Amino acid sequence: MSTCLLNVFKLTLNECSGSNFGPLVRHGHHLRGKPPGIAKSLKEKLSAANYKNPSIHYEVDIGLPPTRSSNKTLLQERITHVKAQRANPELEKLSRERKLLIDLDKSQQDWFATIGPKQIRQIAKHYGVFEHLFGDAYFEPQVPLRISYISGNLVHPVYFGNFLRPDDAQTKPQVTFDSDKDSLWSLVLTNPDGHFTDNEKEYVHWFVANIPGNTVANGETIVEYLQPFPPKGTGYHRFVFILYKQEKKLDLSKYCVNNSKQLLEARTFKTYDFYREMQDSITPAGLAFFQSDWSPSLKAFYHNVLEMKEPIYEYDFPPAYIRPQEWFPKKKPFNLYMDKYRDPKEINKEFLLRKLKNVHPFKAPPPVDPYPHVHKIDKSVPSWLQLEIQKSRLKWGRINDIE
Amino acid sequence: MHTIKEFRKLLSPQVAVRHSSNTIKNTNLPSVFVNRNPRNLERMRIGYRPDGYHVEKPLKYNYWHKLFLSISTRHVTASINHFENGEVLKASTKEWCIKKYLYKGNDTAAYINLGRVLGMRCLQSGLTEISCDIEQLNPEGKIALFLKAVQDSGVQLKEPPQYKKPYPWDQHRPEKPWEIVE
Repeated sequence: MSTCLLNVFKLTLNECSGSNFGPLVRHGHHLRGKPPGIAKSLKEKLSAANYKNPSIHYEVDIGLPPTRSSNKTLLQERITHVKAQRANPELEKLSRERKLLIDLDKSQQDWFATIGPKQIRQIAKHYGVFEHLFGDAYFEPQVPLRISYISGNLVHPVYFGNFLRPDDAQTKPQVTFDSDKDSLWSLVLTNPDGHFTDNEKEYVHWFVANIPGNTVANGETIVEYLQPFPPKGTGYHRFVFILYKQEKKLDLSKYCVNNSKQLLEARTFKTYDFYREMQDSITPAGLAFFQSDWSPSLKAFYHNVLEMKEPIYEYDFPPAYIRPQEWFPKKKPFNLYMDKYRDPKEINKEFLLRKLKNVHPFKAPPPVDPYPHVHKIDKSVPSWLQLEIQKSRLKWGRINDIE
Repeated sequence: MHTIKEFRKLLSPQVAVRHSSNTIKNTNLPSVFVNRNPRNLERMRIGYRPDGYHVEKPLKYNYWHKLFLSISTRHVTASINHFENGEVLKASTKEWCIKKYLYKGNDTAAYINLGRVLGMRCLQSGLTEISCDIEQLNPEGKIALFLKAVQDSGVQLKEPPQYKKPYPWDQHRPEKPWEIVE
């Protein structure tokens, strides 16, 4: 009896000592890096990395000033117009019957005259046009540029980033803009995305200077028109038309391109440097751009005009993260785990050899089995190999890399 | 572990457009080509688009371009927003070029015409696929007619899924959208 009591007492004493003196430790939890209050978030890190000093990088307006009548008269005109609209019973009837469809062309013309330049600047900024052509400078295109490519019976207009195929833009487009007879203009078409060697530079596709009035045909052609030629696999390139207003007649013989053998080198251009040199005598006034992608017809263009092999590119994806290999990986299928750390070329070669084993050089390939799982796999085959056989029958997994 | 530089590579489109090639035999061409167009990767469907984690609440900015509609007592404004750049395109019945031809700024005819104008501006700016989660409570209502007008002008109100490169051990290899030539 006494021994039993003693034991119980001892036990309770032990429990007490455990709770009093042992430190509170949460096993399995440890902080990686700095604690949350001190460590910077991804947002903060990105904003610090992308920080631009506002005293150096500020936007400069290099465009023509907007031409607008005084606000007071404009407002009066608009109020009287709205009142007249409201008093028009025919318009009311059309509107109530949901048959009022406004003329989109007229609306577009009014848009150019009012809020258009501001919105063109917004969308051009979204496409990075000013950033890549003029650095920190921008302009609101006060002169509406109407450009359309004509191929056969079809008309392909150029707006602010619409898509055109290179086949549609093979010949030079028709360009019209509003101008008085005495003023001089120059028009440049460049591609800021297509340079093969230096991605900071552009290719100039068309350059006409000293255009009297709005007749582009009477201008002095500095660079002949060349159609878009985005290489295969590089995606959509921007082709930007910029209309400059000239203060005087310019001598641009420096930028002349003869149709020499090094066609691409001669057409290398940089709008930033060009504008920097000429900024006292030219002002950007109009803007239009389109996007173009590779098309199969360009192969002949590369061979015949540029006299080079057609380059083919593929997007370079970042490689998949694979954690460092362990000596004793737990709960990992050994074959799949080991394959992750082998050279993928070696694995592909293995698959290819296995495939070629059943390929006869002269006989037709055997017909594809519609029910490949009908053939039983021997029970003595280990389960991992059974799975591999099933995968090769269904063409799942790595076998797709060689086919 | 990712450093800041690597994150920038993932997020800023200008750096991410890298193409490599081994098929070129033109000796004077470098093997890396950089396309600076910031909208190129989005159009090719491989650009970065925030989509969060699979058990997470859907993110606020899980789109490339999205259509928003804001309705005031007298006018309607429709805008296209980009997840990084914010508002990139706008059409409103407040604008004089639309208001001038309308009877009223917020009746059904105004909604239909706003849809037509916005659709035209989207096509002119090369935004042909735009995500949209505007609720249509009434299938014959103003908002439904506005969305129908946008779609009739040729804009798709659904964005394609982002293409993610499959791992070598993945079961299938999805089709590469930029290799399909019509």
